[in-house]
Amino acid sequence: MAYHVRQWFLLFPILMTGAGGISAADISPATAANMARNCFGCHGPDGRSPGAIPALNGKSAEFIAQSFKDFRSGERPSTVMGRHAKGYSDAEVNALAKYISSLK
Amino acid sequence: MSKLTRRDFLKLAAVAGAASALGPVGALAAAAKGGKQVVVVGGGFGGATCARHIRRADPGIAVTLIEPSKQFITCPFSNTVLGGLHKMADITRNYDTLRNKFGVNVVHDVVTTIDPAKSMISLKGGQSLKYDRLVVAPGIDFKWEAIAGYSEKASLVMPHSWKAGPQTVLLRQQLESMKNGGVVVVAPPPNPFRCPPGPYERASMIAHYLKQHKPKSKILILDAKDKFSKQGLFQAGWEKLYPGMIEWVAGSKGGTVVSVDTRRMTVQAADKHKAAVANIIPPQKAGAIAASAGLTDASGWCPVDPKTFESTIHPGIHVIGDASIAGALPKSGYAAYSEALMCAASIVAIFKGEHPGDASFVNTCYSLVGPKYGISVAGVYRITDKGISEIEGAGGVSPKEADEAFRESEARYAQGWYDSLTADVWG
Repeated sequence: MAYHVRQWFLLFPILMTGAGGISAADISPATAANMARNCFGCHGPDGRSPGAIPALNGKSAEFIAQSFKDFRSGERPSTVMGRHAKGYSDAEVNALAKYISSLK
Repeated sequence: MSKLTRRDFLKLAAVAGAASALGPVGALAAAAKGGKQVVVVGGGFGGATCARHIRRADPGIAVTLIEPSKQFITCPFSNTVLGGLHKMADITRNYDTLRNKFGVNVVHDVVTTIDPAKSMISLKGGQSLKYDRLVVAPGIDFKWEAIAGYSEKASLVMPHSWKAGPQTVLLRQQLESMKNGGVVVVAPPPNPFRCPPGPYERASMIAHYLKQHKPKSKILILDAKDKFSKQGLFQAGWEKLYPGMIEWVAGSKGGTVVSVDTRRMTVQAADKHKAAVANIIPPQKAGAIAASAGLTDASGWCPVDPKTFESTIHPGIHVIGDASIAGALPKSGYAAYSEALMCAASIVAIFKGEHPGDASFVNTCYSLVGPKYGISVAGVYRITDKGISEIEGAGGVSPKEADEAFRESEARYAQGWYDSLTADVWG
């Protein structure tokens, strides 16, 4: 299932983002964790940023997902986040936001 | 060298971790329960991340990290030391947190042999260690023979400074002692090599130093390539910050360095150039231990499964970081970190007989053109039938047209990136 989703996403990114995608439930927790862990190289261990890059810890899944989607659309200006965000479908954004917000 | 029993391993673990309170406890507890043993070779961005995140995900797994140095000096941000923005202490990390907080058994020794058939490694100190899974993260080594007259000894006169440490200090000292008006040659290697934007950030940081202290000096980049990472952004930045100071010669225009003369301080490309300081960065290959263990192919790098980073030559051994052939991922500290996270998740899942989930990789690299002028490249990667591939439409470099505030933000985020990344590896 996940493989299909990924291919579909690659072929039709506009459709996926525009249509709101599928729900986060279709992304396995392991896959969501694999995606989300990559964020912490910039945002700090478990999102606890020690420096200039905004922290993610303590933020709600809704806030993280909406920020991500706004960076992706360009509605919210960014330096690098817009470029990253374009690599994820709505379902993936929701899943990784849920994972990040679940960390203590 | 004798084969190590479990009891010997415990003794070794206890001795190696004697300085820490929690380190050996974690390793001992795991070993005592008959838990799995992972040995990680190399404590850089890839190796240290993998060791940390295996222990974090499953404290029942004993992880031993073999790293010769007690301190790790990062290549990322080493150019800022050359530019005078930072001191060596700012780019130096240690293994205390890995040992004390994550219970990694850190052993400061050198791996002499890897025996895939026996699942065993030998250390220079005389011990041998058995593993259930081995992670090899040796970084790069140089093809010294590629440039006539260049060698490890020659690098004491014409530093490569492509492994951070004494070579970084040496190049900085040479810049400090050169006369105003001299030529600094920077010679980047052909692809593939560690940190694709690195030589050009280096030229930028050297220019930053020279502009303040030796403004009549020039930087001559003698390149083996015809194009380079973030090229348009670098060149626009040089024009703005250091007009007329940096000249880049492409490989096809006579840039490729064929020989050096350390006595006369000359660098031979299509023309012979006299250098006040010569930074020669030789062509590269996987770290020596990867080749001696038979993990490399004809390219000199290590072929791996794109998801788990398990060697396609020797099952049970994973190769991560610069030494691996990682598809579209560059040889960068961040890519090594991302690969290490996926490798760690895979090893934990393999031991449990579970599925590690779909693989996902990210690269983010900042370069400083000036202290307040940052540029970046980003990429999001998944596995396709072509291996690790970059997702089209995502990633890419900073916009060509951007105001000063944007570049300044990226310079600030470059520091934030460094602080966060090193915190999730060693901090």
